Amino acid sequence: MDEQQLLDLAGDVGFALLKSGGEIYRVEESIRRIFLAYGQDSGDAFVIPSVIIVSFTTPQGRSYTKMLRVRGQTVDLERVERLNSLCRKICLHPMEPEAVRRELESIEGVSRYGYHWRMAAYAMVAFFFTLLFAGTAGDAVAAGLCGLATCIACEQMNRFHTNSFFVNTIASAIIAAMALGAVNLGLGSHYDRIIIGALMNLVPGVMITNFMRDIIAGDLLAGLIKLTESLLVATAIALGAGIILTAARLLWGIG
Amino acid sequence: MLTNFWLPCFYATLASTGFCIIFNIRRPKRIFFAALGGGLAWAVYLLAAPVGSDLFQYFAATIALSMYAEVMARIFKCPATEFLLVALIPLVPGGGIYHTMEYCIQGDTSAFLETGLHTLGIAASLAVGILLVSSAVRLYQTVKVMKRR
Repeated sequence: MDEQQLLDLAGDVGFALLKSGGEIYRVEESIRRIFLAYGQDSGDAFVIPSVIIVSFTTPQGRSYTKMLRVRGQTVDLERVERLNSLCRKICLHPMEPEAVRRELESIEGVSRYGYHWRMAAYAMVAFFFTLLFAGTAGDAVAAGLCGLATCIACEQMNRFHTNSFFVNTIASAIIAAMALGAVNLGLGSHYDRIIIGALMNLVPGVMITNFMRDIIAGDLLAGLIKLTESLLVATAIALGAGIILTAARLLWGIG
Repeated sequence: MLTNFWLPCFYATLASTGFCIIFNIRRPKRIFFAALGGGLAWAVYLLAAPVGSDLFQYFAATIALSMYAEVMARIFKCPATEFLLVALIPLVPGGGIYHTMEYCIQGDTSAFLETGLHTLGIAASLAVGILLVSSAVRLYQTVKVMKRR
């Protein structure tokens, strides 16, 4: 394999891994190992949530560097797992670049659960978290409906590439409004428990836990970016629900 | 015992199952064990209640959960993250964020700050728990590899 192909390959594997929600250290290490497997000992990578830089210098002293911009991460654990095993395979037996390309393409084609499955999952999460936080059966049903609405709202807005701050604000406002409505109609009895349960769909749990791991592991820049992101998302969630609750209290005296 | 312990653990398991679908875990066996981790985390959280500090409860639950995830990762030969991310969700302080917001709009600044900092503290104890276990596992592996040479 020539140098340009190796550079592209390592970059693309890292890109796919980061895009599917792989951790920073996993992406950096995978790229480094791919370089090692093909005999470029000087190969290294610098990864933050939005950018990947891969680079190596050949024994003849020629440097190759590439930068990839990553936009819009999702969490897709099936892809992370397959990419991880692809990296392992490469490390054990360096394959032909065409074979790796083919594997990458098949990983790219890994299907996601359909819209209805995801709607059901959102509803399920909201339903059971409300029960977990001591809500009544009525609360849980109301939260399940909020979960459905959250899924529809998020998916529709993501189709138009709306920024995540706005998506979370709107989604959490919808949840709060529906929860207040459900309590007023007599479906549930604790609007706060309904809101908390339904909000668990939006809470940046992955980011909150990852940023401190990154910071302590030494990826300070990546950790700070994720900290900012998770604070922003948490603020957005609080803002959306806050606006609705304040409005309801001031205008109609409920809640 | 049933309503105070087993039912909440059951709810946590099913809520985690929802997240398996959102995070696109496709194999039924893994969905089952990842979700079971959520139930386990909540069980440890509840069992640690007599200590009297909820930060410790979260910490203990995360330690147990991370060990579970590492074991599962060895069994299924896949990244531990797959089990960790899903099963950690019940411990994420969604309630903390909500209550912080509520104190904020009520104008109760001291309660707002207190709850906000407490929520951050919960997040920190989750992170430290994960980190301790994963660092220990890495250390163990490195030592093992070096001894073999």
